[in-house]
Amino acid sequence: MDLRAGDSWGMLACLCTVLWHLPAVPALNRTGDPGPGPSIQKTYDLTRYLEHQLRSLAGTYLNYLGPPFNEPDFNPPRLGAETLPRATVNLEVWRSLNDKLRLTQNYEAYSHLLCYLRGLNRQAATAELRHSLAHFCTSLQGLLGSIAGVMAALGYPLPQPLPGIEPTWAPGPAHSDFLQKMDDFWLLKELQTWLWRSAKDFNRLKKKMQPPAAAVTLHLEAHGF
Amino acid sequence: MAFFAVFRTAFLLAVLSWRTCQSEVLPERLPLTPESLHISINSTLQHLHLQWTVHKLPYQELQMIFQIEISRFETSKVIWMGNYSTTVKRNQVLQWSWESELPLECATHFVRMKSTVDDARFPELSFSSNWSPWEEVHAHTPEQNTDLIFPRDKLVEEGSNVTFCYNSGINQNISCYLDRELIHGEQLYLNIFTFKLNNVPFIREGGTNIYCAVNYTIKDGTVLFVSKVLEEPKDFSCETQDFKTLSCSWDPGVDTGLFFDGQPSQHYTLFESFSGKKKFCEHNNQCNWEISRDLQETYNFTLTAENYLRKRSVNTIFNLTHRVHPKAPDSIHFNNVGATNATMTWKMPALGNYSTLLCQIELHDKENMRQEHNVSIKVNGEFLFSELMPDTAYMVCIRCANAKHVWKWSKWVTRTLITAEAAPSKALDVWRKVKPEKGLHHVTLFWKPLSKFHANGKILFYNIVAKDLDKKSELKLQSIPAPANGTELTLDQGSYQIQVTANNSVGASPASEIVISGDSGNEEVEEQKINGTKDGFLISWKPLSEDRAGYVVDWCEHQRNLHCELQWKNVGPNTTSTVISSDAFRPGIRYNFRIYELSTEKIAYLVENKIGYTQELAPSDSPQVKAINVTSHSFTLSWKDYDTEAQRGFIQGYRVCLKSKATQCHLDSVAELLPDNSTCCEHAINNPKQKIFLVENLQPESFYEFFVSSFTSAGKSPIGTFTKVTTQDEHSHMLMHIILPMVLCVLLIAVMCYWKSQWVKEKCYPDIPDPYKSSILSLIKSKESPHLRIMNVKDCTPDTIEVVNKSEGTKTQFIGIEKPLTESEFPKPANLYLLPAQDFCVPGPCISFVNHTYSESACDSGSCAHTPVPDTAPPCHLELLASPDNLLNTLEKTHTDSLGEIPAGKISLNYVSQLASPMSGDKDSLLIHSPVPVLCSEYKMQMAVPSCLDSPVLSENGSLSSMTLLGQDKHYH
Repeated sequence: MDLRAGDSWGMLACLCTVLWHLPAVPALNRTGDPGPGPSIQKTYDLTRYLEHQLRSLAGTYLNYLGPPFNEPDFNPPRLGAETLPRATVNLEVWRSLNDKLRLTQNYEAYSHLLCYLRGLNRQAATAELRHSLAHFCTSLQGLLGSIAGVMAALGYPLPQPLPGIEPTWAPGPAHSDFLQKMDDFWLLKELQTWLWRSAKDFNRLKKKMQPPAAAVTLHLEAHGF
Repeated sequence: MAFFAVFRTAFLLAVLSWRTCQSEVLPERLPLTPESLHISINSTLQHLHLQWTVHKLPYQELQMIFQIEISRFETSKVIWMGNYSTTVKRNQVLQWSWESELPLECATHFVRMKSTVDDARFPELSFSSNWSPWEEVHAHTPEQNTDLIFPRDKLVEEGSNVTFCYNSGINQNISCYLDRELIHGEQLYLNIFTFKLNNVPFIREGGTNIYCAVNYTIKDGTVLFVSKVLEEPKDFSCETQDFKTLSCSWDPGVDTGLFFDGQPSQHYTLFESFSGKKKFCEHNNQCNWEISRDLQETYNFTLTAENYLRKRSVNTIFNLTHRVHPKAPDSIHFNNVGATNATMTWKMPALGNYSTLLCQIELHDKENMRQEHNVSIKVNGEFLFSELMPDTAYMVCIRCANAKHVWKWSKWVTRTLITAEAAPSKALDVWRKVKPEKGLHHVTLFWKPLSKFHANGKILFYNIVAKDLDKKSELKLQSIPAPANGTELTLDQGSYQIQVTANNSVGASPASEIVISGDSGNEEVEEQKINGTKDGFLISWKPLSEDRAGYVVDWCEHQRNLHCELQWKNVGPNTTSTVISSDAFRPGIRYNFRIYELSTEKIAYLVENKIGYTQELAPSDSPQVKAINVTSHSFTLSWKDYDTEAQRGFIQGYRVCLKSKATQCHLDSVAELLPDNSTCCEHAINNPKQKIFLVENLQPESFYEFFVSSFTSAGKSPIGTFTKVTTQDEHSHMLMHIILPMVLCVLLIAVMCYWKSQWVKEKCYPDIPDPYKSSILSLIKSKESPHLRIMNVKDCTPDTIEVVNKSEGTKTQFIGIEKPLTESEFPKPANLYLLPAQDFCVPGPCISFVNHTYSESACDSGSCAHTPVPDTAPPCHLELLASPDNLLNTLEKTHTDSLGEIPAGKISLNYVSQLASPMSGDKDSLLIHSPVPVLCSEYKMQMAVPSCLDSPVLSENGSLSSMTLLGQDKHYH
């Protein structure tokens, strides 16, 4: 870069501006509790990681189920999967959710999905599949704990589990293996949708929790130098 | 009794005849008709399970045949008819199953049956009953509204045939698929379709999906699980390592585990018939069985593999002592390890004293197995190794088995045994090289290191002891640390016996002796050429004496290296030839073999000296040749110091290749085509010692190129750069004969001239006579004429200075003035006039400085006519002449001002004195001393000589040139 005669004065002025604004930068101005921001960010990161992990797991599991479950445009009726918590919600409704409700829905959904997943793990035929499912369950348990941490940081109570609603996937006389496969399919699909939704939820929360002063940006134009 | 029997028969006949008559009137069932028919369905097995009874059985039991009909969809559509024969007891509930190929859920089935007494004991009862009424049966399908396809989640073995059916219901556009493929079913009845899969393969653990969809919306599906066929366990065997546990193992074959109702892979059960004990095995390939304390001797095991579809068993029976597989020996130690023996001890774990063990011990060295031993032990073992080699690492391997019945050996256990060192067992192989110098013997000793077999340990040092045989004194010279393979000694020219020993930590080897005599190293024998092959050299020699201890042939392995790696070979006393071979021999390397005869006193005498190559090669380089004695018709080629020994073969001669313009070669040469397609005339020299060659019959003043190459039996050296030679001119020597004397003559004349220069000067350029020394003075004095006197130049004032034209070179003359003229050095003439020299014979712009005083007198004499210079002419001041440049410039200016027609630059100054200096030849004094006014009538007038005298051609404006400057130039009189 070509520094001209007045450039050093420009740099000095910029430096002074930066120093002047330093007390206003929250990261440098914190003295005590960092607040829920970091735990929200951590939860968001964990959500993205689980998305990635599920992509691999679902590929393996759907191949194990065989066609048509591993076909890209397969969309079976929900049938027995009606009990799964639905992630899809009307956009306006989603926008109108307050933080507590948003977090509560996430927590409840993953609590249920985790139970279903553990049932899935018990039925898996191959050791490799069982290992992958167990690993994912552990990660999902971590996400659940992370959401609980955010809720605690914000002062929200954890939802109480309803007694007697422990979902099981043991095939009964009314349940055929094919229908079970369809339920498994919906479980993985719903899990994926929930992870997408959670990423948006936590991203929204993250932005909301950031103080406005944190948005101070310093434009150092190269031309000014 | 007989009466009773007859009565009973008559009664029955009466009853039957009455029944028959009655049936004709009333449709009443015949007796023994199957009743209470109950049909159940096992969907998994696709079985129709029939249960019925036969009432009023006349006897306790009867052999009966039941004829069964099964219809599907409608009673009229009978799909199966068959008989079931059995012994029927009174009040017995009869059972029979029928396996349907089609899933039972696909259709309503109807079953009926009738019976026939088929009992030889009661031939009178041999008639058929009526058909039972049709019993309708539906498969129990709780989700009858949603389930469309059957069978549900069926498990079959690989290779089975499976029939599926689906109910299209009211959906006319239903499509069913097997994984991705559309199924084309066969219509069985109204909306019931069926399709059959034959010889189904295993595809995946998750099963094969069969599903039906309407408008691409899945309505129902089922999964067909195909299991691999359960294999019979292979290689089933049991063994014990400790008489506490029997370990049974087998090869299970393929895993038939499937994701079907959480069904695990096949499981295995072990059953022992003598004890009646059974054990479920935790693993698929092995199972442990506890041995009872009473040590049951014989075992009969049945291993059963079982999965959802199949069961397979294998059996083995054995005696426990025949299935002993000992653990590997442990606690192995070596004790009392010596140079040739060692003791090994070990223990056998866990077997106790139940059996005798046979242990196998192997002793290996680096190469191969040396010893093998079998030892019987109970628990502790001990074995003594002997005949071992000192300082040797052995690998000892040991394993054990039951001595009475070898079932399986234990694993090998390996330990390393290193024996102790012993003194070296063999004398060194020693040889020497002797170099006499200045009354001393420089002896280089060489020895070959002892092999590991003979060293018996690590050689630490070598001792060299020299004994003076003449003085009988012993002198221990050196102890050389290993590793070394030689040393140097300096001895006087006496006879010495040298002993060399190798020493390790235990002791010394036997001494190796060699004697250096006073003549050693001075022997000279003629070299003989030998031919080698790639396999080596065959060397033979003639014995020197009868009494000899043997021969030694030595040579340098790398002849060209400065450091000779001396090699030698010992040959027996009765042998006069040997083959020397070595991997180090290379083609094109000269090897020198010296054969020594060893006397019984260990003195070596040189017998023969042989040189040779394993393979001769063409020389790598050519001699450096100089051309000497070049004449007009010949020149001589000479090469010296050409290292023929460094060549890659025996030099057999040389080839002189001569290139010239001549197209024909001389008779003693042949034309040779060169690589660049040019030709040369090649002269052959077949004497390798000849290193000079005369090239004759050449043309004078001609250009020749030559190249000399050497050759061996393998070819000649490569052609290099040709050297160029030009022969001399034929007459050049004549010219030399003429020119040289001429030059000498000229030189002689020059010397003579120099020597006689004074004489020549006097003759050619005599000195101007000095009036004071003139003889006339004496004459005058004698006459004492008062009017006659000598004019002193000092008294004269120069009257005329002439400036004349001069072409060139005047400037250099100015520069040549060592002492610049200054004003003070000049006399101060009152007037200087520039006078045109019109009074001279040659017209031109001659300018002269005129001394008026003298001029007047001269004019008076009428010998000269000067035109006076007008007074208006600017005077010249001498100060302007302070420097040569100024002088020149001034003159130029002055001259130009006065005579504008004279070109500038062509004017120079001539100073002309009319009078000779009275100081006799002191030319400088002309300027230094003021002229003394004297009468000048008696003297010749001196003047500047017009340049026309020098130059024969003079134009009108041509300048008069004079070389005069301060009296150093020519003066004309």
